[in-house]
Amino acid sequence: MRGTSDMTRTVTIIGAAALPVGKWQRPAEAAEQVLEHELLAGLVLDAVSDAGVERGDIGSLAFSQCRPYTAQKYFATFMAHYLRLPCSGMVSEILGNGMTAGLAFEQAANDILLGRSRVTLALGVNFETATAAAEHMMSSMRAVGDVDFQVPFGITPIAWYAMDAARYIYEFGSSREDLAWVAVKNRRHAALNPLAQFRKPITLADVLAQPMIVDPLGLFEVPPRSDGAVCLVLAEEDVARGLGRPYVRVRSRGFFHEGAHQISEVPNDMIALVSAQTAGRAAFEAAGVTPADIDFAEIYAPCTIVEVLVSEALGLVPRGAGAGAAASGETSLGGRIPICTSGGLQSRGHPAYVTPFYSFVEAMEQLRGRAGLRQVANAELALTSAELGNYNAALVHVLEAVR
Amino acid sequence: MLTIVSVDGPRLYPPRVTAFTRRFWEGLQAGRFTTTRCEACGKWSFPPKPFCPHCWSRKVAWAELSGQGRLYAATTIHAAPAVFRGEAPYRVGIVDLWEGVRLATRIWGAASAPLDGAVRLIVLNHADGALFAAQPMPDG
Repeated sequence: MRGTSDMTRTVTIIGAAALPVGKWQRPAEAAEQVLEHELLAGLVLDAVSDAGVERGDIGSLAFSQCRPYTAQKYFATFMAHYLRLPCSGMVSEILGNGMTAGLAFEQAANDILLGRSRVTLALGVNFETATAAAEHMMSSMRAVGDVDFQVPFGITPIAWYAMDAARYIYEFGSSREDLAWVAVKNRRHAALNPLAQFRKPITLADVLAQPMIVDPLGLFEVPPRSDGAVCLVLAEEDVARGLGRPYVRVRSRGFFHEGAHQISEVPNDMIALVSAQTAGRAAFEAAGVTPADIDFAEIYAPCTIVEVLVSEALGLVPRGAGAGAAASGETSLGGRIPICTSGGLQSRGHPAYVTPFYSFVEAMEQLRGRAGLRQVANAELALTSAELGNYNAALVHVLEAVR
Repeated sequence: MLTIVSVDGPRLYPPRVTAFTRRFWEGLQAGRFTTTRCEACGKWSFPPKPFCPHCWSRKVAWAELSGQGRLYAATTIHAAPAVFRGEAPYRVGIVDLWEGVRLATRIWGAASAPLDGAVRLIVLNHADGALFAAQPMPDG
């Protein structure tokens, strides 16, 4: 039965532009600065040109919020001004930990579904590298734990993932070496991605020789500090069809928040990642597909262990087999189910508030057949994920190539 | 009663105390590990709360926990936030108490801490107040 609002619209991604992930932000005392709005405006023009739409077609802007290190406040409204872009749909700026860019994507998509806008930009910039890691963690540790009952113990964001790794190794008889293969595999992928921060191939021995960061994860098994910026162009499918070029259809999405932040007082199977399981199931059901139908997945996984756990939770590999799948090549380009063909967060880099945007960029390049040397053959269906906390919430999209 | 260990210096990141949580922190300083339990559904909460997050009843009572449990997960932090840098590397872990209450805390001492091994909570009495930590127990 049709309601009063027409929910039969379909969201597509028709264009994108992204900054190579890396260190862009200059120290505050540098005589010459690299500024967020200048870079992002250039990407907007590139993305709109890539999409083949006109400036006047854009009705909404959905920004990921900037890091607190960005001097320009009210960034979204400043950018609407900087671009001189009147909008009749919505201009918004969104924050949600690591899920930030996933939520901005949802806001952009929802404006299209609600009929508020036929073309919407989902965009943002994450600058943070001018602030040292030890200082940055003074802020980030407050985002991933109870400020009064967990932060006083000095638990860092990736320490939670390290505890997942310890439990995984213990329960499944896995090892640090098994997990480290994920970093090797992802670097191989990153070597083929011009947007990746680290592209020099590495061996297992290289990964194991790095300084320990949070035991059992060394430097190459955790995300680097990164700056990045992305602009995606979303459109109602009628617009996409009229452009006469390949595009990506958002086939479905699934979301679940388990109602806990890192851990709750109720003991559970922490490494089952219930949110990823539930969001994944919802996305698969809504798309009418199974995990076996997915051609490749861009998973939000700051550490190697997280990629292993999420690929298991989503049903892409059997439980307990995720680390082995990286070692055997099953999740590599050319393997049964390539995961993180863009290089993963360890090698592509992790400008956290825009990281999910980069995953959509990779999915789009693959589904439009423009991924060059890292192209997944005959890629038709992709999966992306975004998360926050210790995967306390997950957002999963199934994307489809339309050529 | 928990074992109380005196620690030099103030806490590096002192928790904030509210009118409600004062009872927890003062009890801790005296060697008691207390939290709230729902009088309607019987479930524990940690940290202590003026309502039950499981059923939203406001009828909660303070109760003491044994402080005994097992280590569910653990890591050693080598790259630390600025305020904790002087302590790195240090160990943290997730503990499941016998009563079925999970919490995260510092792991105290140099003893090895195997997963699923027995731990007990202890009180760290600093100059400015108390924190708790988990101490691995011999014989798991």
